Amino acid sequence: MSTSTNKKSLKGMLWTWAALTVVGVIIGLYAPAWIMPKSMSNNMHLTILTMVVFTVAAAPVAAGVYASALFALARWTHKGDDVPSAGPAVRENAMVVTTWLVVSTILTVFLLIWGLGALAVDNGSTGKNPLVVDVTGQQWVWSFSYPGTHVSSPDLYLPLNREVEFRVTALDVTHGFWIANMGVQVDANVGTITTIHTTPDKLGVFDIRCTQFCGLNHAFMVTVGHVVTAQQFTSWLASQPQRA
Amino acid sequence: MTTTLEQAKTAAIPQGGGLHRRLNMATAMIGGIVFAWLFWYLAHHFLDATSRTYSDQVAASLTIGWIVGFWLGIGAFVAPLRWLIGRDNTRADDLYLAGQGQGTSRYWKFTTDHKVVGVQYIIMTMVLLGAGGILAMAIRTELIVPGNHFVNQQVYNGFIAVHGMLMILALIVMVAGPWGNFVMPIMCGARDMAFPRLNALSLWTLVGAAGLLLTTLAVGSLTMGWVVLAPIADQAGVGMDFFAMAIIVFTVSTTVAGVNTICTILTMRTKGMTLARLPIFVWGVMIAAALGIYAFPFFSLVEAQTLMDRTFSTSFFVANAGGTGWLQANLFWLMGHPEVYVILLPAVGALFEIAAVMSRKPVFSYRTAVAGMTGLAGLSILVWAHHMFTTGWAPTLGGPFMLTTELISIPTGLFFLVLIGTLWRGNIWMKLPTIWMFGFIANFIIAGVTGIYLSDIPLDDQLHGTMFVTAHFHYVFVGSVLFGAVSALAFWYPKVTGRFLNEFMGRISFWLTFIGVQVTFLAMFASGLRGMPRRYSSYAFIFEHTNFMTTIGAYTIMAGMLVLLGAVITSWNKGEPAGPNPWHANSLEWMVPTPPPLENFEVLPVITEDPYNYGEELVRS
Amino acid sequence: MSIDTHSELDAHGAHDGGHHEPPEVVDGRQRMGIWLFIGGDMIGLAALLFTYLYLRGVDSGGHWMSMWGYTGHPYSYYYNILDVKGGSIPNPKLIHVGTLSAGLNWLVTILTVVSAGIVWAAERGLRATKNAKSYSSMAAVATAVTLVAVVFTVIQLRHIPPIFSAHEDSLTMAYTAYDSTMMAIVGSTLIHLIILAFLGLGLTIRSARGAINGTKWYQARLVRFFWVWVAVASVIISAVTTTINTIH
Repeated sequence: MSTSTNKKSLKGMLWTWAALTVVGVIIGLYAPAWIMPKSMSNNMHLTILTMVVFTVAAAPVAAGVYASALFALARWTHKGDDVPSAGPAVRENAMVVTTWLVVSTILTVFLLIWGLGALAVDNGSTGKNPLVVDVTGQQWVWSFSYPGTHVSSPDLYLPLNREVEFRVTALDVTHGFWIANMGVQVDANVGTITTIHTTPDKLGVFDIRCTQFCGLNHAFMVTVGHVVTAQQFTSWLASQPQRA
Repeated sequence: MTTTLEQAKTAAIPQGGGLHRRLNMATAMIGGIVFAWLFWYLAHHFLDATSRTYSDQVAASLTIGWIVGFWLGIGAFVAPLRWLIGRDNTRADDLYLAGQGQGTSRYWKFTTDHKVVGVQYIIMTMVLLGAGGILAMAIRTELIVPGNHFVNQQVYNGFIAVHGMLMILALIVMVAGPWGNFVMPIMCGARDMAFPRLNALSLWTLVGAAGLLLTTLAVGSLTMGWVVLAPIADQAGVGMDFFAMAIIVFTVSTTVAGVNTICTILTMRTKGMTLARLPIFVWGVMIAAALGIYAFPFFSLVEAQTLMDRTFSTSFFVANAGGTGWLQANLFWLMGHPEVYVILLPAVGALFEIAAVMSRKPVFSYRTAVAGMTGLAGLSILVWAHHMFTTGWAPTLGGPFMLTTELISIPTGLFFLVLIGTLWRGNIWMKLPTIWMFGFIANFIIAGVTGIYLSDIPLDDQLHGTMFVTAHFHYVFVGSVLFGAVSALAFWYPKVTGRFLNEFMGRISFWLTFIGVQVTFLAMFASGLRGMPRRYSSYAFIFEHTNFMTTIGAYTIMAGMLVLLGAVITSWNKGEPAGPNPWHANSLEWMVPTPPPLENFEVLPVITEDPYNYGEELVRS
Repeated sequence: MSIDTHSELDAHGAHDGGHHEPPEVVDGRQRMGIWLFIGGDMIGLAALLFTYLYLRGVDSGGHWMSMWGYTGHPYSYYYNILDVKGGSIPNPKLIHVGTLSAGLNWLVTILTVVSAGIVWAAERGLRATKNAKSYSSMAAVATAVTLVAVVFTVIQLRHIPPIFSAHEDSLTMAYTAYDSTMMAIVGSTLIHLIILAFLGLGLTIRSARGAINGTKWYQARLVRFFWVWVAVASVIISAVTTTINTIH
């Protein structure tokens, strides 16, 4: 094969790569926000943003592998029923291996830096007078109590724009406390309290689903939660039966 | 050309064998059932029936009886007892055990010949994959529309547990079992495995474990998922005791097989077969075996603890008595993550081998390939807590475990480099093995990219425990490992049977499976992103379109697998004859006749270079 | 791959598939095998000790060595109260369990170490003096010592105290976290000792019948590797469980 055809066909591969990258980037930019539940908290904004950034960052890499595999298929497939003759006996190419290692290491370091930064933001509590909610899971219901108020309810009400601290535990087996619209999840363990923070920033309703297999009615351990204004929240609390 | 069968018939049956002459799979089953009944009877009558754990104690006794009886009936205890009394095997005994002159009956016996064990592993893999596949179809049928229509939740929960564990067993043995036994010793230039009787022991122990696992559904009430979650496993019925015992027995099988594999590779290589000249597949099998020896003790311990909690009322995972479910999670994933690479590495090794042969080029950067596999194995023991990011266990360790997990992408990336580098500028022979290899490349990229999302803790806080995770690891196991395994099957099938796997049926199977995987699991990603948790027996209406697609895709995969099964069966005796070296490859397994005779070589070969000298003879001559 | 099929050099110089290879070849291979099994066993021990130290470290609910319930009476005692006599059971008490007998623990360890020493000395003697008869009797002694250790291990297991607790109308038996892990550890020791006794018996019989002798002693060494490892493991177990147990 002559050098010129080689260059020409490599050009074809580059175009394939560019096109696939564009497709990947478009998917990355639009698919997460389109498919994922609508964001109702600061954590969920970060979750969707991370999804977008990672997909966009992965797009050229995945496109590169696809383009080269497709290129190999199109360009070097042996035609005919006979046994193909041997290809070039290339055993090593230090340049390629080194480049690949350097590029993948740089990408990994980027993912790490992003991840550690996001982790610090995600798990951090602002410490500004959070509303504490005690969450208890049991087969197959959630219950929520608000310390200091004697209110315990099967429904979760949260005030808008105020940080919430969920203290999660379980009575019988492990459950998974997950608010799909807020990007927070933690297991409810028997005999231990686990904590997560989030700040709801949109009014509306959301689902709480159990993400840890908990037996017969695991699929039906769903509770509706509400984000309401601060006044509505106060009046809801006052309307609830007080428990000793 | 003589077939395996004819060749075996023409040889005379040796005089030896002793007790083994009367033992086979039927006596093993009878022994298992009789002893299971005996142990059940004794436990039933002599244990304290007022105890809360009585039924579990009886069930556990029964399972011990089954495995003891099965081992007795297949002849696993003959060798230890003969060793004990100082009556070692004679040459005739060894030849009898190796199956000389016994025709097809040797496939149903404690036969030590590594090629027989390899074929037995092919059958076992298909049985496990078939049973797990039927359960997968049952699960998807249940999930085709919202609501519980087909089975009730209790049965469904059993399906997800047993489907998971059957498939894990099938995947662990899928490449390393058949090909790590059938071709690996020949590739090394050995006459058999290092410990042929232990080889038969690992196979038959696997059969015993699979027998237990297959009965769990009938015994029932498996509410714990395949990971045997604690403390909910305490609530499961006696099927759980069968399940745990099956796993403990299985770990014995894999540990024995792992030791055997490593010893074969390190001590049985023929003259001149240096480690640097080893076919790359052998490296994959060896690294996976070493990782298995590390991982599986955790597996048997965690299942033993689950069993003890259920039978002896211990409190390993019981919170109000000083235990914790996090212990179970830690021990399970200390095993569980390395186990993923125990599954993956043999398939990757096989694909490197196939890429080199089918593109008529040396493996690109052999050293990188070995380093990538070793690095992956090493890293994999340091990442287990990424399965526990959302459990609440040790939040401060999140950062370190995120670091180790994301480092995994570097050695994994090297696999693509080696595969693409090997194909690059080759003369790619588009036969079945090559086609399935391209399927692997396409799917493994998706598996890898989605793995990166899950390694990131803030993102994992959203995606963990959802169908997204399920789709991710199905892209690894179905999309990648299964494709690698079918590629390996198509590649080495002619060595086993002397015939090609039917190319036409194989291609139909490929397209059905490949399209099925994309439809099934891309839709499953969407379910997960939308917010559907795993292990749901029913779901809200917002998930109905994606679930319907997933079910349709799953049926397509099943159709593909059935076509493949048809190809395997019809090609076995009627396929196109292949000759001893159909791919014109250079490694040793293609240098021996097909089928390889007992003990493989007339004269052990002497090796002077590695098997990847494509194109190099031309230069030299 | 270029293969010299016409070579006179069969790698093992034999045509019988390596079944009659020289003993040193078989020995080397089996040595690697036994070390790999020991490696797997080391992971198992590490996992056991991880369990022990983890549960002690987290001291879940403060219940490492305590539990609410009743003790001191057989299980059926309460059943009689509840079902037969129709009485009511008293309120549960917080019961603290003690550590298992450290003396018994160390006794088993010492017996294991002694038996390992005997096996090792016997092997040295065999290799020096080629006297299979004395090897056989020493192996028998080691086996006997191991069997004594088995007996004490069973005694230790039987002394792990259950605690009974009432749940509504039924009674359940349970063990604290400490007792649970000790049950696993002592149980694992028991299994290892039984394997040692089997191997010791095999050495005794085989050397008496000449299958192990002054020139063919490699199996004696293989067994010794495992025996010494079990002894070392026993020392590690005793050291950990008798120094790190109660929480003050």
